[in-house]
Amino acid sequence: MSPHPTQTRPRLALISRIVAALIGGYALASVFSIFLSHLLPSELPEAVLGATLFSFAIYTAAIIWVFAAASAARAWLGLLIPGALMGLLSCAMQFAGSAT
Amino acid sequence: MKQRFRQSMSWLHTWGGLWFTWILFAIFLTGTLGVFDDPISHWMREQGKIGDIKPLTAEQRAESVKVAQHYLAGKAPRAEFWGIGLPDEAQAALRVFWREQEESPFEQRLLDPANGRESGASQRDTEGGHHFVHMHFELHAGTAGIWIVGAATVAMLVALVSGIVVHKKIFTDFFTFRPRKGQRSWLDGHNALGVLTLPFLFMISYTGLIIFWALYMPAGIMARHDGDEESFFAALNEGPAPRPMQHIDALLHELSPLMLRGEAAIEREASFVVVEHVGDRSASVRIFGRFDPDAESDRLVGRSSGNALFDAINGETIDVQKPNTVRGGNVLAIQRTMNALHFVRFGGYPMKWLYFICGMAGTAMLATGAILFMVKRRKKSADEFGTATPRVYRLIEVLNVTAIAGLSLACIAYFWINRLLPLDIADRAVREIQLFFILWLLTLLHAGLRPPMRAWIEQLAVSAALCLGLPLINLLTTGDWLFSALARGDSETAGVELTAMVFGLIFMAILRHLRQRQPNQQNREKSLATAIEGA
Repeated sequence: MSPHPTQTRPRLALISRIVAALIGGYALASVFSIFLSHLLPSELPEAVLGATLFSFAIYTAAIIWVFAAASAARAWLGLLIPGALMGLLSCAMQFAGSAT
Repeated sequence: MKQRFRQSMSWLHTWGGLWFTWILFAIFLTGTLGVFDDPISHWMREQGKIGDIKPLTAEQRAESVKVAQHYLAGKAPRAEFWGIGLPDEAQAALRVFWREQEESPFEQRLLDPANGRESGASQRDTEGGHHFVHMHFELHAGTAGIWIVGAATVAMLVALVSGIVVHKKIFTDFFTFRPRKGQRSWLDGHNALGVLTLPFLFMISYTGLIIFWALYMPAGIMARHDGDEESFFAALNEGPAPRPMQHIDALLHELSPLMLRGEAAIEREASFVVVEHVGDRSASVRIFGRFDPDAESDRLVGRSSGNALFDAINGETIDVQKPNTVRGGNVLAIQRTMNALHFVRFGGYPMKWLYFICGMAGTAMLATGAILFMVKRRKKSADEFGTATPRVYRLIEVLNVTAIAGLSLACIAYFWINRLLPLDIADRAVREIQLFFILWLLTLLHAGLRPPMRAWIEQLAVSAALCLGLPLINLLTTGDWLFSALARGDSETAGVELTAMVFGLIFMAILRHLRQRQPNQQNREKSLATAIEGA
């Protein structure tokens, strides 16, 4: 990678990364806050608050990841895979919780 | 791998930092000034001269509430929200607020507590230091402003992390300063300021996001609590259940006896009264006890100042929270601690000064970063934007001047506006803020018309003059001046003027430095100007 990616990296890949950082990162942080709220031992409102307090660090880390990844496609995959995983697990826990 | 990571972080730090630096500078400067919003309001309202306002008796407080209710019933009989701020030692006027609907903006008036007349000229009507606080967290743009500030704050966190990665020798950097070496000095200054205040910068940015956590990151409440914020917060705060609108008309109870009952229930003097859903069967009134800063100054987890909630139709008691109690669990305590850290609600004046100094260092770090970007490229264009590069550089230079020198000018000019604007004009407090923005816009125009170095020098010179002349304009307009403030032990008034003068001297020092460097600078400007014309 060149030190000035705007020059060499195709413009589309850069826009893709910016979208990934702003929107993808936000979506990942959102899913993370839901996922963690299922795991925290506190009562429901406190668990949601606690999970959300952490989620801003996840958003920051996600943006760092998006620009550190070797390619825009890898950047997206790095957001989508953990996001989908946490989303699925959250749904499963929600379902299990409402079934009992 | 490691090398590539550092390079991509360097790119992110430069460009992510650049595009957010102007808004971050505004957030940091106004937030730092906002640390002293009370002394600034004290100066702007000439309280030192007026002297402390005599506290009201219980009967006078009840009478004020009656007056406010009468006024509000005439103005907004079906409002979603009424607020009544009782006079205190800081403000003799009765403050009334209302909002027709949840989404509509707040209206505010100052009333004479004895007869309910709008008291324009009786006291200098001003937002005071609150102007800086509002600018800091919402840019005077409501919810849209809060979102913009939130996005910039995330960019700040990203810039801090990427900045750490870029600076491999973080501790050597801190002890390195090579003055008068042009670009190296700007870089050293940027690094030293950043490293020195790094923990503060992380803390203040993160806790700033946490204040609006439910607005910025509502996913948890949406997914786990059906998005019902009212009942969510009632459960979180261990408060009474929310009272939704019933859409049945009902006559509001007299508020003044409820205020007296509220004071009796919490055993503390009331400072604020809130009525929700005026005119509806679901109406409620909450009486808030007066905040006691001395009792809270050694605590990070703030305690309640006491409040009592009544049914505003039949007057039944719904809930009473005594002063000095804490509701909610441990996680809420963590969030409250983060709020207290951000608002510097603890530690009194020494802590406020520490925040002020760290905040100014952070502000200077942002300024040096923005200037460094251009200093580097004035020497040798990096040609990032092809043929448009000279025009983009010019835009960045103009925005640097406007955001850094221009905003500093507008901030100190706000103090002058406060003294020079006639006392009896309508909506005076709003006019003050409008003039602040008009002046800021003029600095943008000025920066666009003048060569960069001239723009810097001229705007800094005006700022320096306004800072150094602040005691003079106060003397000329109000007859009060620095030595009488010092003589009567009015440290807030004197503190504002002395601090302004220190900033005046700092601006003078920067000006001296710029003037010495000017000759060879002008040559460079000429070449830049020809480059722009050529483009």
